Amino acid sequence: MSQITEDDRLLIEAAKADPARFVDVYERYFDRVYAFVSRRAENRAVAEDITSQVFERALAAIGQFEWRGLPVVAWLFRIASNTLADHWRERAREAHEAPPDVPDASELENIERRIALYQHVERLPDLQRQVIWMRFVEEKSIREVAAALDRSEGAVKQLQLRALENLRKSMGGHG
Amino acid sequence: MAERDLADRLDETIDAIVARADATAALRDRDLAPLARVAADLRHYPRPDFKARLRAQLERRTNMTPASTMTTGSGATIREGFTTVTPYIRVAEAGLADFLAQVFDAQETFSGRGGGGGMHREVRVADSMIMIGEGETAGGGGVMPIRPMAFHVFVKDVDATFRRALAAGARSLGEPADRPYGERAGFVADPFGNHWYIATPLGPESLASALRTVTPHLHVRGASDYDEFLQRALGAVEEMRRDEGGQLRYARLRIGDSAIELGEGEPMPGSYLLYVADPDAMYRQALAAGATSIMPLTDEPYGRIGGIADVAGNQWFFSRPVRR
Repeated sequence: MSQITEDDRLLIEAAKADPARFVDVYERYFDRVYAFVSRRAENRAVAEDITSQVFERALAAIGQFEWRGLPVVAWLFRIASNTLADHWRERAREAHEAPPDVPDASELENIERRIALYQHVERLPDLQRQVIWMRFVEEKSIREVAAALDRSEGAVKQLQLRALENLRKSMGGHG
Repeated sequence: MAERDLADRLDETIDAIVARADATAALRDRDLAPLARVAADLRHYPRPDFKARLRAQLERRTNMTPASTMTTGSGATIREGFTTVTPYIRVAEAGLADFLAQVFDAQETFSGRGGGGGMHREVRVADSMIMIGEGETAGGGGVMPIRPMAFHVFVKDVDATFRRALAAGARSLGEPADRPYGERAGFVADPFGNHWYIATPLGPESLASALRTVTPHLHVRGASDYDEFLQRALGAVEEMRRDEGGQLRYARLRIGDSAIELGEGEPMPGSYLLYVADPDAMYRQALAAGATSIMPLTDEPYGRIGGIADVAGNQWFFSRPVRR
């Protein structure tokens, strides 16, 4: 896990002095926290709910934040892990599943890879980005996407293929 | 033709990934595998509008919540040993502090005659503080009514503590038993009518790790609406919630560095002191959320303080202590 940076220190100290500045912490770490949580949540709604709780808890606790040699993201992952554990405890009434742990080095690498991938999605040509958005976020079928874009299903499949190929190329060695 | 075939196979794989169905076959397809791995990561692609909505929600929270409930680290806004929320139990006569000492090994850390003539006591139970006002005129100059409150208390041995409670004059509300929520718990009413839900954690499902030794448990009618009120009025953050039959069965809310529990039930309104950096802002915020003033803000020798009553009859006093 990366070391404490001067940016981290300034962000946290500013948020401790004025909680309104917590949004800067949020902007810096949203992607990592969401990437961590989403892999452990059963669906997008749960991932969003838990991510919300993580930042709410972090905001509530920012006044007590103490530097203990770990970077801010480690503190956020710990909150995320506890929030997920609460969620699993609730679910344990229905199904027994092990509570999550904080990420290891390999998962941290995966998190960074996914964040890079999401940034590449933003740079795709408009139509390809729309297809990715509708297929993966809105979970539309190929027929629904074709209707929304006024294209044939075959054309949308080709757009989808081009988008995935572009993303794979953009990720280079990470893909 | 081959590319069209690849487009079809990729589409089927994406269908399986989005539906959380088995897509491992794609990983054995040399052409498809690299694309399938990208597709698997895209399943977690965040909605940009979610990120924006959460940011707006946090901004509202920081605007509505005075720095008060968060700046506890320096000791500038909270008395040493206290947390943001301290329950204030009102009783007509002496004896509760002794009961708590016998049952929970409570240590009295302060006692003194209040301005209204009643006795004010402060006791510590492990990491939790409780204030007690004795006498008809005690407690916020007499504005706090005498009425029982309810608490969730964690102990090492619920059975032994339960027996001590009965020996000290408590009435059983429920014998110790293993509960489905991961605690062995027994329930008593002390001689003053306060409820103590005594618990020993049984396993990881217990809430003990998220709570201090003593946590106020608020029983209210219309708990779901009240939960929202506390979020608006006090900047409370809902950390956990369980609904049953359309009603809020249990919620854990965080206020500053303290937790309270909330559930639908026969109302047991009580009084609470909140240490905050800016009691004026908190007072205004609570009134704006629909609370009623019961004590306009005044400067007392011990600090600035004001209070409100809410729709459920609970009283919340906001105070910034004098620096000592």
